[in-house]
Amino acid sequence: VGRTASRQNTNLMQLVYGKSATMATASVHGSVDEESDDDDDDEFFKPKGEENKKSREGFDVGDADVEDCSKFTIPSGKNWKDEEMIENIRDRFVTGDWSKAARRGQVSE
Amino acid sequence: MGKISSMKLKGSQNLRLRLLLSTLSSTPILIEDIRADATWPGLRPHEVSFLRLLEKISDDCVVEINETGTKLKYKPGNVMGGKHVVHDCGVSRSIGYFLEPLIVLGLFGKKPLSIRLRGITNDSKDPSVDTFRSTTLPILKRFGVNPEGLELKIESRGVAPGGGGEVVLSVPILQDSLRAVTWIDEGMVKRIRGVTFSTRVSVQFENTMIHAARGIFNRLLPDVHIFTDHKAGPLAGKSPGYGISLVAETTSGCFISADNAVCYAQGEEEAEIEDEEKKDLIPPEDIGKQMAGILLGEIEQGGVVDSTHQGLLFLLCALCPQDVSKVRVGKLSPYGIGVLRHIRDFLGVKFVIKPDPLTETVILKCVGCGLKNLSRKVS
Repeated sequence: VGRTASRQNTNLMQLVYGKSATMATASVHGSVDEESDDDDDDEFFKPKGEENKKSREGFDVGDADVEDCSKFTIPSGKNWKDEEMIENIRDRFVTGDWSKAARRGQVSE
Repeated sequence: MGKISSMKLKGSQNLRLRLLLSTLSSTPILIEDIRADATWPGLRPHEVSFLRLLEKISDDCVVEINETGTKLKYKPGNVMGGKHVVHDCGVSRSIGYFLEPLIVLGLFGKKPLSIRLRGITNDSKDPSVDTFRSTTLPILKRFGVNPEGLELKIESRGVAPGGGGEVVLSVPILQDSLRAVTWIDEGMVKRIRGVTFSTRVSVQFENTMIHAARGIFNRLLPDVHIFTDHKAGPLAGKSPGYGISLVAETTSGCFISADNAVCYAQGEEEAEIEDEEKKDLIPPEDIGKQMAGILLGEIEQGGVVDSTHQGLLFLLCALCPQDVSKVRVGKLSPYGIGVLRHIRDFLGVKFVIKPDPLTETVILKCVGCGLKNLSRKVS
């Protein structure tokens, strides 16, 4: 049962947790243990490259220093003066069609 | 204390989150290769400042940094909290950078936290202090945080490069734990609020921003109020600047935000500044329009929080008791994805992530890790 559920949403789960993640249907992932198994006494003397095989499939190496910023601006060149654009989101406002908004809420249980 | 094995990580990414999760899960961490190949290697001033702040509000924590700042060892202690803590955030990142981890950390302290932070209140990189008041704090309340004692006072403003702003943050402690949520109804936008600010420039800048933003909202919603906050004298900090923070409130109690500020460049990458110095500042009218557009873009996404707050939302879900939390967001943000990965690594909580094709949103479900406020019980 767990397998079928996970196959359905493979894409996003894979995107977030990497390929191996789709196999592990359990909610607890082993990576925490894997990492803490290492003895930390000689962590300053690790040969270079050993820690490269960290369980971070989704990241490329270049990303390791990516800026620590939560703020995310959706890139949009949208012209909100455009009548059509406004009509598209009208039902997201109380001035729009309430029944449509209600249906939106229902489809997802 | 004997040997505690620590988690090994690389690079400067998500440093605040890593330190926060390390502290909450009592997992020591070792981070290597922090900007090892950069022209200026190692930790940045704001990162060191955040480490100092952690030392200030917790007991028994150990921070070791190597000579070049490319390696960091952190052994978390107990979060103590306390009143009348003061911290200078410097001017390399804004106060928002510090507030984000602090509001979660404070919840798991021994005593309620009340801290005065000095530095930059508004910039374009981090959520502004206005957005914290209007959007971030209500999200915490949703998870059962006591609204009394949760507040952020803006005493003076400051923008880059000089800073000079001051805020006081109060965070209550959790008596037990957070409350799991089922939060998938994003509702309909019933009102839009906002605040503009100006420091060391004419108040007319604010009126222009408001006028431009209103022009876009007016065709959608009559209930739009944007307040002004013009600061003068010592309350205006040390540098000129202006900005706007907008928030849309929905019928189901969701808050969607967008903010930005304009000022002269922040003095971090000295080499680049010479090229960028000639860059024109964005005029107030454009900022107003831009932020109104971004807010509409966020509303269009259909999540219960905006892109910026996804990380906080996931984190709070994961820290809940062992109940199911279910939330809806728009497109996953890169930072949100980073948070999900770190939550798995530190707390062992994995979300079930399902797209909802009809509304083009994403539903995430998880069982919290059952974190309790342990500091409170320690005598």
